[in-house]
Amino acid sequence: MTGADRHLFDAPGPKAIRRMIIGSIIAGVLAVVALAYALVQLTDKGQLAAAKWLPFVTNLDLIKFLLLGLGNTIGAAIVSLGLALVLGIALGVGRLSEAKVVHTPCAAVVELVRGLPVLLNMLFLFLAFPLAFHIDLPAFWTVVLALTLYNGAVIAEIVRAGVLTLPKGQREAAMAMGLSWRQTMALVLLPQAIRIMLPSLISQLVVLIKDSALGFIVGYQELAAQAQSAALLLNNPLQTYMIVGVVYILLNSLLSEASNYIGERQKRTLSKVYASARVAAVDER
Amino acid sequence: MPDSVISMDKVNKWFGALHALRDINFRVSAGEVVVVAGPSGSGKSTMCRTINRLETIDSGTIRVNGETLPAEGRELAKLRSEVAMVFQQFNLFSHLSILDNVTLGPIKVLRQSGAEACKEALGFLDRVGIGDQAHKFPAQLSGGQQQRAAIARALAMRPKAILFDEPTSALDPEMVNEVLEVMTQLAKEGMTMLVVTHEMGFARRVAHRVIFMDAGQIVEEAPPEAFFTNPKTDRARDFLSKILM
Amino acid sequence: MNELMGVISTLLRAFVTTLELTFLSAILSLVVGILAAAMRVSPVPPLRWAVSVYVRLVRNTPLTIVFFITVFGLPQVGVNFSFFSFALLALTLYTATFVAETVRAGIQAIPIGQIEAARSIGLTFTQVLAYVVLPQAVRSVVPPLASTFIALFKNSSIASAFGVAEAISVMTNMVNVHSTIVLSIMGATAAIYVALALLFGRAFTWLERKALIAR
Ligand SMILES: Nc1ncnc2c1ncn2[C@@H]1O[C@H](COP(=O)(O)OP(=O)(O)O)[C@@H](O)[C@H]1O
Ligand SMILES: [Mg+2]
Repeated sequence: MTGADRHLFDAPGPKAIRRMIIGSIIAGVLAVVALAYALVQLTDKGQLAAAKWLPFVTNLDLIKFLLLGLGNTIGAAIVSLGLALVLGIALGVGRLSEAKVVHTPCAAVVELVRGLPVLLNMLFLFLAFPLAFHIDLPAFWTVVLALTLYNGAVIAEIVRAGVLTLPKGQREAAMAMGLSWRQTMALVLLPQAIRIMLPSLISQLVVLIKDSALGFIVGYQELAAQAQSAALLLNNPLQTYMIVGVVYILLNSLLSEASNYIGERQKRTLSKVYASARVAAVDER
Repeated sequence: MPDSVISMDKVNKWFGALHALRDINFRVSAGEVVVVAGPSGSGKSTMCRTINRLETIDSGTIRVNGETLPAEGRELAKLRSEVAMVFQQFNLFSHLSILDNVTLGPIKVLRQSGAEACKEALGFLDRVGIGDQAHKFPAQLSGGQQQRAAIARALAMRPKAILFDEPTSALDPEMVNEVLEVMTQLAKEGMTMLVVTHEMGFARRVAHRVIFMDAGQIVEEAPPEAFFTNPKTDRARDFLSKILM
Repeated sequence: MNELMGVISTLLRAFVTTLELTFLSAILSLVVGILAAAMRVSPVPPLRWAVSVYVRLVRNTPLTIVFFITVFGLPQVGVNFSFFSFALLALTLYTATFVAETVRAGIQAIPIGQIEAARSIGLTFTQVLAYVVLPQAVRSVVPPLASTFIALFKNSSIASAFGVAEAISVMTNMVNVHSTIVLSIMGATAAIYVALALLFGRAFTWLERKALIAR
């Protein structure tokens, strides 16, 4: 009984149990009816025809084509994560700095970028970059830089939350040893904060993979773009997008599980104070 | 025995493989103060909570005022309103003021008018000594004040009995007495009370009877003097030697 | 300068569409999300399973793919809406999963003692819900819902790629027409987005303070 809220519901008496059983039966029957209706509709409209589905098993070129897209998706996501981590640490630490000249611009950049749609960043690089520098930015970099900027800002906040939730004693002990602010940050606070952040960073990879699907708008051949081309060619949009959707779901579920697993393990090994840092760093998309 | 406000007959409860309550039999008569003592994990809270059906039981009978505890619905709600409960963690409603905490039950359950409930609530808050805190929120009160507010909330339901589950265990030592004094006063006024507590001084002074539990069983049941000066079982003796040190 | 003023007024009109899309999907996802959350905590197992499957699937799918499936997939089975309605559907399906998870977490974060205390004074199930659970859940839910809706506001830009003439789509068109003031057009668009996002942030902070006032 994981989801049933012992919270909300009293332990059921005989009447409540009867109602639960009747409710379950009704819900089950409705689900079956809905599923049957969907199948009838799909068959009616010829959407279950073998010709629409079989290419995904038999057509090797198609499979390669989509796998290429998957590779590009993962590539862009991982490179962006790496760069966003660097940018995020820089901005996050900058925002924690006690010097106003450092702290204020970092805060401004973070707030500004977080208020912008990723797509706008991407279009900016796509449309404005060639005008300013008279060269086209490769599609890969258009996607990666846009994702880096946005996620760098998000990671900056994760870093800041991570450092701020470390026990105060850590910082005081380091300062008392005679370490400078910079040394304290680099040698004591950041390494700990990054360790706590690991699960959040993996969740952020899920966000990156999802956002990289905007690449089709700027001509980057990631999975969604490849799906679009394939769907046009095969004239089977429903099938193609569903199958590609499943691929994304599998990939992202795997990453979410990994993030949860590491988070749980940390919860056991690190103190409670540390674990709370993750609460402050949930992704919002 | 129509006289007993609370009665348990052959009550058993399991948590999975754990036999948490074993053949529990006991009665609390009107006006009686019964203290339940015993080591941690012996089933005191569980027993207390079954009376309000916050925990279900697997066999046996629980009666309140001679009426078998209903399994669900309005009947259960009504019976719960007649037996108030005071928790270790106070459990005041955090989004309501102290006054609203006390009036919620009278207005929504007893269907009193707002003005009437308010007037009575202020009376109860005065009785527990925090009339001046009525418009504050729980988080603004000390633990002792919160627990007294919780007692006022219980009293406002005009219950036939009040169950206390370690009402002073979560309090800083200096606040224990203010709560015990309120409870002592209630006992003097003839309130029927079932009190789980480690406060042996309170048990000695106020209780009519002490029930000693261990490993889900009632091991000993005696008037306080007899229990404290001459415990019959080794387990009770052992427990007392630890707690009275 | 005049050129830019003209562009900005066109842009502002496009932002009205963005806001329409945002507000309508926000309201719909709130309704769907709360219903889903209610099903998710209900004592009827098939309802719980259905919602957790829905949430798991959709949350792990890129919004872009949700758009592709609704805009290009649904017409294949005879469902034909306007682009705006399709966008509304896609955004709602996606955002509702976040609302559902937030509301469920808000309910489950209420300490059990609060609910036991409510039961033990004789409140019925509906009363416990109305006087204790919901008022407390609303408070813990406002801040995360704010992030969800601000994300929705930004996500609505994806509708530009699916036939809706909202801000980004209009911006792209104008960039093609007014090729000498590209940076200004994009800068203005960015400024309006950031200003609106900040405004929403403020509005939610105000709402949060209202919700928290009793503390
Ligand atoms: N909800 C529960 N699920 C499983 N075991 C429980 C639960 N509540 C209590 N227990 C177990 O039942 C036993 C009695 O607990 P409790 O009544 O709280 O003891 P006491 O109040 O005397 O300290 C303990 O072993 C405890 O771990
Ligand atoms: Mg206990």
